Amino acid sequence: MAWEIVRPVVDLLGGSAFGQWIGQSTERIAWLFVMHLAGLTLLLGGTVVVSLRLLGIGLRSQSLPQLAQDVAPWRTSGLLLSLISGALIFTGGAASYYDGAWFRHKMTLLFVALIFNFTLFRLVTQADEGRFSPWLNRVTGGLALLLWFGVGVSGRAIAFF
Amino acid sequence: MLEWCRALEESQVGTMVRETAFPYIEGTHVLGLSLSVGTVIWFDLRLLGATMRTRSVSEVFRDLKGWMFAGFAIMFLTGALLFTAHATEAYESAYFRAKLALIVAAGANMAIYHLTIDRRQAEWGPAPVPPLAARVAGLISLTLWGSVIAAGRLFAYSL
Repeated sequence: MAWEIVRPVVDLLGGSAFGQWIGQSTERIAWLFVMHLAGLTLLLGGTVVVSLRLLGIGLRSQSLPQLAQDVAPWRTSGLLLSLISGALIFTGGAASYYDGAWFRHKMTLLFVALIFNFTLFRLVTQADEGRFSPWLNRVTGGLALLLWFGVGVSGRAIAFF
Repeated sequence: MLEWCRALEESQVGTMVRETAFPYIEGTHVLGLSLSVGTVIWFDLRLLGATMRTRSVSEVFRDLKGWMFAGFAIMFLTGALLFTAHATEAYESAYFRAKLALIVAAGANMAIYHLTIDRRQAEWGPAPVPPLAARVAGLISLTLWGSVIAAGRLFAYSL
């Protein structure tokens, strides 16, 4: 399976001096979680705002491409902040995270969400108003919420289950 | 106060949250960030002239306020329930006290903004970059809400 192909890299990361150093201090991990949540707030907040517009239930006074363009740099910064802090948190406890069922669910969903984000989501939110049917907008908005909140929910589940 | 916290913790609600519902309520509280702080940031960034510059400040506020209030309602409700589960630890935690103080400060900043700078918003609202006082209010709000998130996360980590 694909998970086994990546395992040597995970072992290398987790066993490295850097990985050990990160995992050593709970305070360091706690601050990385703060950054992870700050990133989540920007990413999910941006996703909510654009998706409400796509679904036609909020921010209807704004033009979709303009709104998406205004939100994009902040939302992408949130995504980067989440990815970087997440990767560092993972490095600090690679071996214990890697075999977790919810961790794998989260990474699978994240993979799908990222592909969706840079294909359909980007295409639909950047298109001129009226180029696509309102139904495609709604499907895109619904998928964006499902995928990104799915990543969030499975992330929380790692801590509890 | 500590006695009251202990009673709350030992009550049926406190016990139920601590023993069964905690992961679900905590998950809702964390993801509720997307609707609460996650919507407020767009208004704050608009006050800074950093996003949605073609829309007036009042239009941006009108678009966001319903979602914002719904988001904060979820946060207060789930936050109160989480509090019942660990009331004494929360009461004694410096992080938790800091979090409450920061929330009060963020609310005060919002109130001051609406009672002062916002009164003359008809004059400056449509401009891409608001006057200095409005930008300061936006920056204070962003800083305070970011600190609320940090205090909340550090408190949860200390449990």
